[in-house]
Amino acid sequence: MAEERESMSPTRIGFGILWPACWTGIPIKAVFAVMIMAMGLVHFEGRFGLAFLMLLASPATIFAAPIIMAMYDTHFGEGIGLALIFGLSIPIDIWALGIVGRTFFLDRLRKEPPHDGLGFAIWWRTAVIGMFFLPLLWWIVSHVTEIGISASHSIAEMESLRHLFHTGLPVAERIGLELTIWGTISLAVLMVLAAVGVSTLGQLIRRMAEHTSPAAENYQGLITRWDLMRVPADQGLMLASLVGIGVVLSLVFWAVLPVTTPHPHECCAKPELALEPVFKPAESLSKTMGRITQLVAQAETIEQQKAQAKDQTDKGKEQTGGGAVSNAHAGTKP
Amino acid sequence: MDSKHVSSATIPDHQSSTAEKVIAFLDERLGLKEIQAKMLNEPIPGGSRWAYVFGSVLLFIFIMQAVTGTLLMFYYVPTTDHAYDSTQYIIHNVDYGWFLLSYHFWGSSAMVVCLVAHMSQVFLWGAYKKPRELLWLVGLALFGIVITFGFTGYLLPWDQRAFWATLVGVEILDKTPIIGDFIARFLKGGASPGQMTLSRFFVLHVMILPSALMALAGLHLFLFRVAAPAGPFKGTKEEIKAKTDYFFPRQIWKDIVGMAFVFIGICALALWEPVVLLDKATPDPGEYHPEPEWYFLFYFQLLRLKLFAGQFGQFFGAVALPVAFMILLIALPFFDKDPERNIFKRPIALIAWIATMVVIVLFTIAAIINREFLD
Repeated sequence: MAEERESMSPTRIGFGILWPACWTGIPIKAVFAVMIMAMGLVHFEGRFGLAFLMLLASPATIFAAPIIMAMYDTHFGEGIGLALIFGLSIPIDIWALGIVGRTFFLDRLRKEPPHDGLGFAIWWRTAVIGMFFLPLLWWIVSHVTEIGISASHSIAEMESLRHLFHTGLPVAERIGLELTIWGTISLAVLMVLAAVGVSTLGQLIRRMAEHTSPAAENYQGLITRWDLMRVPADQGLMLASLVGIGVVLSLVFWAVLPVTTPHPHECCAKPELALEPVFKPAESLSKTMGRITQLVAQAETIEQQKAQAKDQTDKGKEQTGGGAVSNAHAGTKP
Repeated sequence: MDSKHVSSATIPDHQSSTAEKVIAFLDERLGLKEIQAKMLNEPIPGGSRWAYVFGSVLLFIFIMQAVTGTLLMFYYVPTTDHAYDSTQYIIHNVDYGWFLLSYHFWGSSAMVVCLVAHMSQVFLWGAYKKPRELLWLVGLALFGIVITFGFTGYLLPWDQRAFWATLVGVEILDKTPIIGDFIARFLKGGASPGQMTLSRFFVLHVMILPSALMALAGLHLFLFRVAAPAGPFKGTKEEIKAKTDYFFPRQIWKDIVGMAFVFIGICALALWEPVVLLDKATPDPGEYHPEPEWYFLFYFQLLRLKLFAGQFGQFFGAVALPVAFMILLIALPFFDKDPERNIFKRPIALIAWIATMVVIVLFTIAAIINREFLD
């Protein structure tokens, strides 16, 4: 067992600390992220999954994320809230790396953890490695994916595959084939590069462990120690504080949460409906009576005007009756 | 007598508070302290773990679904004339209605995700093996109920997405030999989805399925307590013994953190993508391409393969394959009698699990890419 601990690979050491530390910190980071989302200070649009991964791995992405966004003209979210979330995640990550690091030193390496600043020591190393390594990883994986996609297109259009079916490769099969080809290549490259990054961190942590002394207690004693490390000194105070914070955050959340849908999508906007006016019988009756009276008066006026016009026409005909007929006949002569 | 005398002498001024008196009154009649001891002092071999939180998280999600579902029912009208309009009213007019509906919608997805995670954990830890066979079987029944919950709830908003997803789902069920025709007619209640379908789905969603889930979840917990936790699949006896701990407080703390994280996650999803409805359901799909809820997308894409075309292919893909998979899961603890639980010493189980996950992920992404070809 002792030999196994001595020969633990850097990848296992790096992964053994980074993985639990990321998950230890994310519940707290997620609280702040949700509050900021409810305030409308950040929008993730189609990048929600990527933004979650960036926040989860914030010890490594804290400096790398802005570099990637600037270098490759991409984004993981928009709004001032994004910087705020990453800023708030720094102390949380330091705390998480500290608690996980101390546990790892005792339980897995059976060594005395450094007394002060272990969390910060691991955090800045992780952040610096991420700052240089992640943009490079992003560039390599993006290019490999692009090449993989074009190569898989070419393979799917190969003549030998076309002849398998009368009308070429069916759509579902083609998508499945192409996705399998470029997905496998991209995932393999991503995993190898991620392992290299984690291994680099593991090597640095192993060097830190070389300068520490072996733990004196037996296994049971070590377990008791690392177990008690995670238990707060004043449990009552801790519980009361957590409940208090929970209540306050809940109230703030409901206060900042939009009452109506925050961003109705353009495709599915609410149909605009005009409300019918309230029906008031007496008002409606008097209004109708007034309208009828008005219409009757209008009709009478029109009748009078018609009658007057007819009289004038008749009088005019009587005055110019014979001449008009003789003129008409004259006009038709050849 | 002596001990009583001594205790009263040492604490002469101690008087029970009202709360203590109420607890003592209830304890005398209900045996509260015994229940508390049984509930909290369950030893967990190898100690508490984050991998064990999924069961409690699932229970929490179900409770939240029941709460949000009940609140939505205050406004929802389960008729074909009003289902769509009442859902629109909830989204656009009821205070925080959009959030409740979106939470309920994303909560159902979270339930499926946590269920798959829980089943994966049990499978990888070999926790379905003797003496936990019944626990596994009841868990599978709960899996079926959760999936049916999602299927029945999807129709209720009565928009194009709901209508056509249900129609596709019922048509798949129709292909089941012997009972398929009956199930399809029972669910539809007519030639095409209409008022009878909506009423039946509503009753299933808000009455029958919650009752069944509560009963089976109770049975699941009882069987879990009888069989006791399986513990880790690796580690020496010394290590497991050293880390063994009671359910309270560490595992409960982990469960609470898990629940809080899932709650926050669902809130984040509701804020990120609030529920919006498509056009009201009509028997003409128009430009809409019917597709099921995202967690069925992989299966929907699988059925698009040439392999599953034609009458036999459709039967094979829509009925034989899922039925065979379910039979395999049901029979798993009865043919896998090897007591070895370490997943790294069970290569077939590990490869089978990885292959299943790869198929699910690959075909889900393929279904999303397939949308571009349809558009």
